[in-house]
Amino acid sequence: MMRIPKHPTRGSVAGLAVLALFGVIAWAGGGGGASTETNPVTTGPGGGRVSGAPSPAPADIQSFRVNFWENVRGGNRCGNCHGAGGQAPQFARSDDVNAAYQQAAATVDRDFPGQSLMVTKVGGGHNCWLADAGACASILARWIQDWVGESASGGRQIELEAPIALDPGASKRFPATPPAEFAAVYDLLDRFCSDCHQSNAATPQSPYFAAGERPFNPSLAVHAEAYNAAIPKINLDQPADSRLVIRLERESHNCWSADCKQDAAAMRAAIQAMSDAIDTTQIDPGMVVSKALTLRDGTVASGGNRYENNLIALYEFKSGVGATAYDTSGQDPAADLTLSGDVSWVGGWGINVRTGKAQASTTASRKFHQLITATGEYSIEAWVTPGNVTQEDTRIVSYSGSATARNFTLGQTLYSYDFLGRSTATDANGLPRLSTPDADQRLQASLQHVVVTFDPVNGRRIHVNGEFTGDLDSAGGGTLGDWDNSFAFVLGNEVSNDRQWTGVIRMVAVHNRALTLQQIQQNFEAGVGEKFFLLFGVEHLVNMPRSYILFEVSQYDSYGYLFNNPKFISLDPAATPGSIVLRGMRIGVNGVEPHVGQAYRLLDTVISDAGYSAAGGQALSSIGTIIAVERGADEDEFFLCFDQLGASSGVCSNYASVGSSSVADVPRPPDIGVRTFDGINATMAAVTGVDPNTAAVKAVFSNVRQSLPATHGIEAFLSSHQTAIAQLAIQYCDALIESPAASSYFPGLDLGGAASTVFASDAGKDLLIDPLIERMIGTGLATQPLGTSLKGGTAPAGEPARPGLYALVGQLANCGGSCSADRTRLVAKATCGAVLGSGAVLIR
Amino acid sequence: MVVVLALAAFAAGLQPAAAGPRERAKRMYDRLTGTSPSPALLTDLATRVQSDPVGAALYIMDPGSERSKNFYNVTLKNFATPWTNRDQAVFAPLNDYTATVIGVVRDEVDFRSILVDDIVYVGSGVSPAYSPTSNAHYEALESDNADLRLVLTSTAQSSLNGLPSSATAGVITSRAAARAFFIDGTNRAMFRFTLLNHLCRDLEQVHDPSLPPDRIRQDVTRSPGGDSSVFNNNCVGCHTGMDPMTQAFAYYTFQYDADPEQGRLVYTAGQVQPKYLINSDNFKPGFVTPDDRWDNYWRLPGRNTSLGWAAGPGHGNGAKSLGEELSHSDAFAQCQVEKVFRTICFRSPSDDQDRLQVGNSTATFKGTGNLKHVFAETAAYCAGN
Repeated sequence: MMRIPKHPTRGSVAGLAVLALFGVIAWAGGGGGASTETNPVTTGPGGGRVSGAPSPAPADIQSFRVNFWENVRGGNRCGNCHGAGGQAPQFARSDDVNAAYQQAAATVDRDFPGQSLMVTKVGGGHNCWLADAGACASILARWIQDWVGESASGGRQIELEAPIALDPGASKRFPATPPAEFAAVYDLLDRFCSDCHQSNAATPQSPYFAAGERPFNPSLAVHAEAYNAAIPKINLDQPADSRLVIRLERESHNCWSADCKQDAAAMRAAIQAMSDAIDTTQIDPGMVVSKALTLRDGTVASGGNRYENNLIALYEFKSGVGATAYDTSGQDPAADLTLSGDVSWVGGWGINVRTGKAQASTTASRKFHQLITATGEYSIEAWVTPGNVTQEDTRIVSYSGSATARNFTLGQTLYSYDFLGRSTATDANGLPRLSTPDADQRLQASLQHVVVTFDPVNGRRIHVNGEFTGDLDSAGGGTLGDWDNSFAFVLGNEVSNDRQWTGVIRMVAVHNRALTLQQIQQNFEAGVGEKFFLLFGVEHLVNMPRSYILFEVSQYDSYGYLFNNPKFISLDPAATPGSIVLRGMRIGVNGVEPHVGQAYRLLDTVISDAGYSAAGGQALSSIGTIIAVERGADEDEFFLCFDQLGASSGVCSNYASVGSSSVADVPRPPDIGVRTFDGINATMAAVTGVDPNTAAVKAVFSNVRQSLPATHGIEAFLSSHQTAIAQLAIQYCDALIESPAASSYFPGLDLGGAASTVFASDAGKDLLIDPLIERMIGTGLATQPLGTSLKGGTAPAGEPARPGLYALVGQLANCGGSCSADRTRLVAKATCGAVLGSGAVLIR
Repeated sequence: MVVVLALAAFAAGLQPAAAGPRERAKRMYDRLTGTSPSPALLTDLATRVQSDPVGAALYIMDPGSERSKNFYNVTLKNFATPWTNRDQAVFAPLNDYTATVIGVVRDEVDFRSILVDDIVYVGSGVSPAYSPTSNAHYEALESDNADLRLVLTSTAQSSLNGLPSSATAGVITSRAAARAFFIDGTNRAMFRFTLLNHLCRDLEQVHDPSLPPDRIRQDVTRSPGGDSSVFNNNCVGCHTGMDPMTQAFAYYTFQYDADPEQGRLVYTAGQVQPKYLINSDNFKPGFVTPDDRWDNYWRLPGRNTSLGWAAGPGHGNGAKSLGEELSHSDAFAQCQVEKVFRTICFRSPSDDQDRLQVGNSTATFKGTGNLKHVFAETAAYCAGN
């Protein structure tokens, strides 16, 4: 998309506005600059840009020589062509540094080193000395940044550029389930890509859009996986721009015939057929919408302000493809990492380590030994998202030889970061380890900035999210003379592959100085990943020239964008809003409004002259929200929708109320249940008349309370419950029989008599049994067993006979003529216990 | 031998239930009190059940008579105890939460005030006395098998726990609830368990990812393990509704040193508890709690409008007004009735007839808030025909 040219009269007023708005100085003082403060604007209105090309000065030439010229003039880099007598510009000529300086100075953008001609040219594929043009561009930008950063006199500012005003487009959307027409695309993918692009391939490469086997069946989970993996690689609106087509046509990526263009055409035709079968989603004309933007239409806002004076290795994972993560520190030799195992690239820069690692060669890794032992101190800095908080003794960043020999390691154990470092104060395995305490739970499964530092005085220190954890190194400081230069630098695992860490690594930097807390905080504040300022045009909705809703947007991970800090602003410094009502703002993606993540849906504010300033606009919210990625960062088109903005109003979306759902009948469980613990105790007390506070009863209840049924469900009744019930029952019966109340409870029963006499007849037994049945089981109740059945052991029809209470009493009373004196009471207690602990009492 | 015989008796054949008045009376008493009636009482109840079953149930629950003792000591205690701890254990000791539920039912106070009023029930004449730093008072009541229908006395919670009356919210600000749900953490537990216990819904059942996520606090990672789709598909569905309502508890915490059993509920008017601001780096652009203003996002169009919110602004400050919001919903009324149904009938409503009964009792409850009547109606219904 073309840019609107910068307004010729915007000058410093607009610059001032933007400077104050963000409070950031992109790359102020260069990558190594310590300053993070916004530079004061000293020019008056119309005084031109804040920063500009400084006059050539000896200091600048010296900086050029050290930071840039020495790096590019080699025959394996730009010096091969752009040397003396070579192609213009001869900025890499070795014969005359002053002449080279003059040539180079004319081609670099001191405000935005990343936009220098030589950077964009190399980034576009012009003779990169690495396999990844992006990595060359990053390195080149860093050299320029180091050069101008040391000498530039002006600060850096984000300068907003007005995007071209485009209406949110009607677009085609992928159906949630695979359409039948995807089968043709899948056939090609499965036939020609499944050697790599499926998880069970010999060399699996995500995305797994060739998962499964033909024929395509949309109801199979594995084919749904293939469809979902293919979605980001397909452009329904412009099939020729689909990544699946471009990869074949322009990049000749594993074409299956000798003619890549023909293969690409086949793929394009299949995608076109799929696209033709999908209807276009039109934006409702009644909706109040802003102009539309993609992420790439925004102004890049990140990349600066980090403290990197002593950087010796830097991994930003910008490549996004391939099996190499480049060291873009610009510090030779580059310790590039080879990705192996299940390690995939993450949207918004990063790698996702599942099972595998990213490791540098031992040769390239020697620079860590060489550069760190030279200073005797170091820092490892990383932006990581641990995959979970359950992994133990794992390696995030390590420079080691095995699981028991290392120079340094940053690792994870549950909620703790571990720091192992070899020095004269520790052993060859870097032990004792320094860990953040478990209870602090410093490590969370979310994006965190962790920096571990070592210096000879303080020893090891751990900093998380810009904060020193306060944990002191028990081993103290030391020197690094024992370091081993044969180790390899590795991410995500031990070099011996037996300390697997899972999670996402967004950035890793190694410095050969211990960063100060201030420097760490500076790097933490700088953040990680790409950030864009998106200007959503609303001039057509409000009576204010060049007005926009400004969002900070970044790709948060592979699955979501972070929309943050919305502001209303005009690029016309003279404009004022008056009074503009803003109510209900929603973020739209590709022509429709996602239902999830609409954090500004309830926004209700007035943009007024009082709240607005030309410098900072008017903040609408300090809240950020996550909007799901649909087609990928290059293609997703965003717009805003408003319930009301100014005089315009409409309804973005109607969220339908969900009525109560119908309720189905469920099988009716049994109507009966068992008494529960307190109920059993209370029932036993009630039917025996024994006070539950009786010491012996209370003690037993206290013992067996939690062994008694806790729920009334009869299906949950266990034999252990019955054991506890029997204990309690016999205790209640003991208390009853031994109490004076026993005589009134059992009228006519001689508890002091001889058992053989007292229970000689059924009538004698009835004196014991009848009161028990009447009080405990009840009489005249159809829902309870009949007393006669209980006494005689009569079983229901069809069931075997069972012993009754008569038989029980008779058996107990029969002691062969040698009964003890208390036998009658014992028989009474046992019989009472049998009735009291029975199902007839317990079931209700 | 006793055990064997007991088991045998347990298995003794039950006669088919004809459900005459005596059977209905026995079942009604059994279900309401957890115990069997004496022969004389059974005869009395059998007469009453025939003419006025609901009246018979109320007669059983009459706190003026000892026959009702176990309705309060057993049934109501076991009814409420699982609400007072995270394990939902019924064996947990008696506490001020349970006692207040028992008292409110006994005195036929509008049960909706259980989440709102400056009220707590204590045992009169029981040693040790109520203490905001101990549950010993209630444990003594339970240990002594005290007759709860007699000893429980209503009093102003604020006079005992030191909270301003305006900061009390019934059982939400009881010591037991604070001990269980305001302890450590982020106070979301108080909201979740109140929802679970009094609206009969866990968070999965009110999951609605389409609501605005603007009030989700900073401590909730938006990219768990590096995957924001997990947040957008799962986490957000609960936090959109929960976080703006949990804000009502921003000034409360349960403070303790070494032993939580000696801790107490603390209220810091105007000062947000640090637990609301922890792990702020998990998502810097998340919501930073400035006060105890709560908003009910479940009133917004979506699946949770079916919870039946009463007329009102749908927002407020502090626990008391949130308690009012929750307790005046249809879901609250229905939940209480269903809990009673399960307690008395030993099952969930399973067919149209059951649902009609629950619906009728819910309608009555919404008018009066009298839970004892719900017990009576349900006991009459489930006593059999």
